[in-house]
Amino acid sequence: MNTPDQLATRQPDADRQRIAALPFDKALTEFRQVVEKLEAGNLPLEDSIALFEQGVLLQRRCEKMLSEAELRFQRLVEQAGGKVRALDLTVNGVDDAG
Amino acid sequence: MRPFEPLKPLEEAPRQQAANLPIMSVGEVTALVKGALKAAPRLRDVWVEGEVGQVSISAAGHCYFTLKDERAQIKCVIFRDDRLMMPFEARTGLRLVAQGSIDVFDAQGVYQLYVRTLQPSGFGDLALRFEALKAKLQAEGLFETSRKRKLPAYPQTIGVVTSLSGAVLHDVRRVLARRWPMARVIVSACQVQGAGAAPTIVAALRRVGRWTDGETGRATDVVILARGGGSLEDLWPFNDEAVVRAVAAHPCPIVVGVGHETDVTLAEFAADVRAATPSVAAELVVPARIDEQARLDGYAGRLRATTARALAERRAALNNEKRALEANHPQAQLAAERERVGVLLDRAARVVARRLEIDRTALNRTSELMPALLATEIGAARADLGRTSAALSALSPYATLERGYSIVRGPDGAVLRDAASVEGGDQISVRLQRGEIGARVESVRDSGR
Repeated sequence: MNTPDQLATRQPDADRQRIAALPFDKALTEFRQVVEKLEAGNLPLEDSIALFEQGVLLQRRCEKMLSEAELRFQRLVEQAGGKVRALDLTVNGVDDAG
Repeated sequence: MRPFEPLKPLEEAPRQQAANLPIMSVGEVTALVKGALKAAPRLRDVWVEGEVGQVSISAAGHCYFTLKDERAQIKCVIFRDDRLMMPFEARTGLRLVAQGSIDVFDAQGVYQLYVRTLQPSGFGDLALRFEALKAKLQAEGLFETSRKRKLPAYPQTIGVVTSLSGAVLHDVRRVLARRWPMARVIVSACQVQGAGAAPTIVAALRRVGRWTDGETGRATDVVILARGGGSLEDLWPFNDEAVVRAVAAHPCPIVVGVGHETDVTLAEFAADVRAATPSVAAELVVPARIDEQARLDGYAGRLRATTARALAERRAALNNEKRALEANHPQAQLAAERERVGVLLDRAARVVARRLEIDRTALNRTSELMPALLATEIGAARADLGRTSAALSALSPYATLERGYSIVRGPDGAVLRDAASVEGGDQISVRLQRGEIGARVESVRDSGR
């Protein structure tokens, strides 16, 4: 977790991009830590606001994943040389495109 | 030792050997085998236990099937009349004891068991094997609780080992899509039934254990091994030693859901988590989207509440400081005093004005009635009112200053009323109608009262 100082000096765009790529559990954990840090208080106003903004980004990231995700369903096939590959699987069978 | 025989010419040798060899016809060999089998007393009346494989009933009503175990199989025949007398029929997968004699079926060159009676072998034997293997693997520590790994809370990739046909894959997919659609599911297909199933299950587990994502290099976070309900024999591959060992040795946590609630297989004992059914297995490996949404909403509420509270506290603190600052400012003190005075003046002026207005109205009315007679008296009253008004105005300290008086304050800012309250050298201030004079006391004279 970042210290407030790091947050204050961080490039907002870089943080935005980092958060947009986080897996759900990481984003949720960071979100909880942000909330707990804010609740603990004793932060300078600028740090509180930076943390709040980061919290909003993390919340949006989680919301997006929860609402937009679509299950990816694939089947493993063995190839020559023993390599294993995953091909998309439709309800009826393996897609030809894979 | 026999003396060494001289070599014969090469070209004569094959002809001579062929003439000496006892070459038999197919029928002769078959008859020999048949005779040998018939001569063996133990094969005349045998009891054979095994699992029924392929079963077919001919047009004539005879039943043909194979009886097998792990190592071998025997072709069996039940003739129509015997078959119709039997209390139960041979069905694929059934384990039973067949009684009859071994003979050769010349036309096909196969030996067969000519079955006279069929007995169910019962589940006693399977149960014994189950318990024996269970005891053995338990002794090795394969089922130890300490070996069990925790399932990941938020798996990104889930391996599923099951048959591609059948309802299980569909059920698992439906549950995962509903509960945790952000997962990626990797299916590794296997057979889940029949004698050849166990090796395919082992191979499918190895395959999914070997897989990693081409880009990220990530392996599966958790694996589900599942099969729908069936008879004890149907579920038997999940009691296979190689399968049980493959489950125990799997590189990532594994959940096994086989059959229904009441079915228990050794693969489930070896799993990190046992699920009652395939659908339950799918539920166990992922969190519920709805729970995570609630958790997220909770954090979001706290985020906003705590930020709003922090801001409100700061605003309140700021206002308090501002107020304290203003209250301590000298100009503010003067303004406050001025305000107090102003209010007093206002009130006084209002009272006076109302008084005047009332009186004037009354006087005007009177003057209308008797103008001439009371004119002088009215004038006197008016002058009187004017004096009252002026007196009221004179109550204002400013008015006093206007009249040339001044207010003298001592070093502590208190208004001086007694010369004895200051000493020579004291700093005092003198407030005039316009401006203020800073002064120093030269001398103090008592009033001599």
